[in-house]
Amino acid sequence: MTTEQRDWAATIHRLWASVATITSREQLADLVLPPLLEIPGAVGAWGLRHTTSVFRWAGLPPESVGHLVARALEATGEADPDWLAAHGVHDVVVTRFDAPGDVGGTMMVLLDGTGDRDHARTCLHQVADVTREAIRRLAAHRAEQGQQIRDALLAEASLQMDAVLDRTQTMGRVARMAVPAIAEGCLVYLCDDKGPELRSAVHIDMRRLAALLADDEVAARLETLAAEAVAAPDRRPARAEGIVPGTRFVDVQVLRARGRTSGVLIFMFERNAGDVPPAQFLHDLAHRAALALDNGELYEQRRREVVAMQQHLLPRRLPVVDGLEVAASYTVGDRVMEVGGDFYDVVVRADGVVGAVIGDVCGRGVDAAALTGMARHTLGALLQEGLSPARALGRLNASLRREGSWRFLTAGVALLRTDPRGCTVQWMSCGHPPPLVLRRGAPAETGRGGGTPIGVLPELRVGRSRLRLGPGDTLVMYTDGLTESRAPDGRMFQDAALPQALERLRDAPPETVVRQLSSAASRFGVTTADDIAVLAIGVARD
Amino acid sequence: MTDLILVVEDSAEDVEAIERAIGRSHPGLRREFLRSGAEVWPRLTAPGAALPGLMLLDLNMPGEGGLAVLRQVRADPAFDRIRIVVFTSSEDQAEADACYAAGADSYIYKPMNFALFQTVLSQTLDYWGNVARIVVPPPGDSAAQT
Repeated sequence: MTTEQRDWAATIHRLWASVATITSREQLADLVLPPLLEIPGAVGAWGLRHTTSVFRWAGLPPESVGHLVARALEATGEADPDWLAAHGVHDVVVTRFDAPGDVGGTMMVLLDGTGDRDHARTCLHQVADVTREAIRRLAAHRAEQGQQIRDALLAEASLQMDAVLDRTQTMGRVARMAVPAIAEGCLVYLCDDKGPELRSAVHIDMRRLAALLADDEVAARLETLAAEAVAAPDRRPARAEGIVPGTRFVDVQVLRARGRTSGVLIFMFERNAGDVPPAQFLHDLAHRAALALDNGELYEQRRREVVAMQQHLLPRRLPVVDGLEVAASYTVGDRVMEVGGDFYDVVVRADGVVGAVIGDVCGRGVDAAALTGMARHTLGALLQEGLSPARALGRLNASLRREGSWRFLTAGVALLRTDPRGCTVQWMSCGHPPPLVLRRGAPAETGRGGGTPIGVLPELRVGRSRLRLGPGDTLVMYTDGLTESRAPDGRMFQDAALPQALERLRDAPPETVVRQLSSAASRFGVTTADDIAVLAIGVARD
Repeated sequence: MTDLILVVEDSAEDVEAIERAIGRSHPGLRREFLRSGAEVWPRLTAPGAALPGLMLLDLNMPGEGGLAVLRQVRADPAFDRIRIVVFTSSEDQAEADACYAAGADSYIYKPMNFALFQTVLSQTLDYWGNVARIVVPPPGDSAAQT
């Protein structure tokens, strides 16, 4: 073996050893082209990447005309002999390689008159083998990285979307996560009765997007694309060119989950084809977004039903009573997805005595709702017929015991008799929180509770007390959702904020009292986990 | 556009992550870091100061926040050529709208995962055209050239 052969063998060995360290095609060109100049007679080594206009070289540069020469050599193996001769090139050996899943290339060695064509070809093929392997490894590495990034995006997007049940926020988050990680732009269309409507739009260059969407023609093309996708949701996802000026293509993904189509995602791409994620990934992301949107829709729907059903369990209107002002409020807990058991009612007996009822059935859901309705109607009807509160409560207790219901409830009944100087209140409590009395021009007082919940013992025990309300005084009855609303640090509204709230509400009319007490407790709590019912009856001022 | 990126970021962890990410994806770009919003205006208006081609701006910083910096820079036409990319973990759409109204070129979500973080930054820099025009050195500097 000659020294020259040994040196070349060492070069090839070094190239193979370096393949694992290559992280880009630019580095690869730096690695493989210069050694080709070691071939006897070589004056230039050129590399061309197919389908792009990327040229790499060592030695003689392919100047402007040389690019054409190189392209001709790549395509036919022949080129303009005048240019070659003018640059001292007598012969060119060419090899090309294809890279499955990646852009292939052509390599060539330009020889002067002293070069041995066969030897040069052998050396070039050896270097091309190294190049081919390096490109394969680069492609595998890039694919692995791409998969990692897509996995991370899907995970992070899922976290983001799961954190909210609000559809508007969900739409904003999916678009913002996608740009620019996987696309230059992302549009979210949601379906309504009139068809898909653009509800969220994010682009890496928002000014450009605003200009594009202001173009009626472009906006109409995008909307048509969305409408077509919604009309045929099972059709394969579409990639369309020429829809948006300056964008290579758009990818349309239908937002479909649990058999329902909620809208369309349109991704806008301007990047190199190699950086565009696979359609399957876009499909997966759209499916994840569709699930989040559907969850939001189901949540909203359920919540609307809960609020509507809750309203049915409460009196449609409160009676108007001479000398008294009556007001009530009901706040559904913000994370509540089932009908709660709080109730209130106000009835006026034939003799003008007013019966006010408030109660709280344990638990939530359909069973609790049924008991809630039954309890309100029973107590309301018996009180209106003139039965004493204690007997009315006892009848309800007996009824629950007879039915063998495991549920129980707390309740409070106020019987109010007005007179020229105010009002006398007979307060009956069955395990219910004591009422509050807001005195005119004086601090608030707390009434008495007592008694046992209804439905627990065969013989009901009722806590009895009497109160006197003067003109301008207000009796406030409530359920424990008001007082037990909790701040993030665990403190309860009753201990930390109720006294101040009552002080602020001194001399306020009942309507203001119920509204502001409810909202103060809701704001105080980190979440309004429980429903809040408040019923206030004020004695008219002189 | 110049090959200088000005990063305005108060978090040490994010500074390190941005340096690492851009260093890997766009090693040819020069990075300069400011750790507070208050440093931006003196830096840009210093006599003979080299202006960045792109400013990567955190939104929530103590003292002068990113939005205030954005408004101040955009109020001076001398800095019109600087691309301003708000890079934030904020999910508040109102903040995004305010940034665009104030003249931000991009409002980019800051991912938690580093691979994603690097991709987002890389795509942003690619989009604004830094790579093609800046990173590739002029012919003749290397044995193997574009």
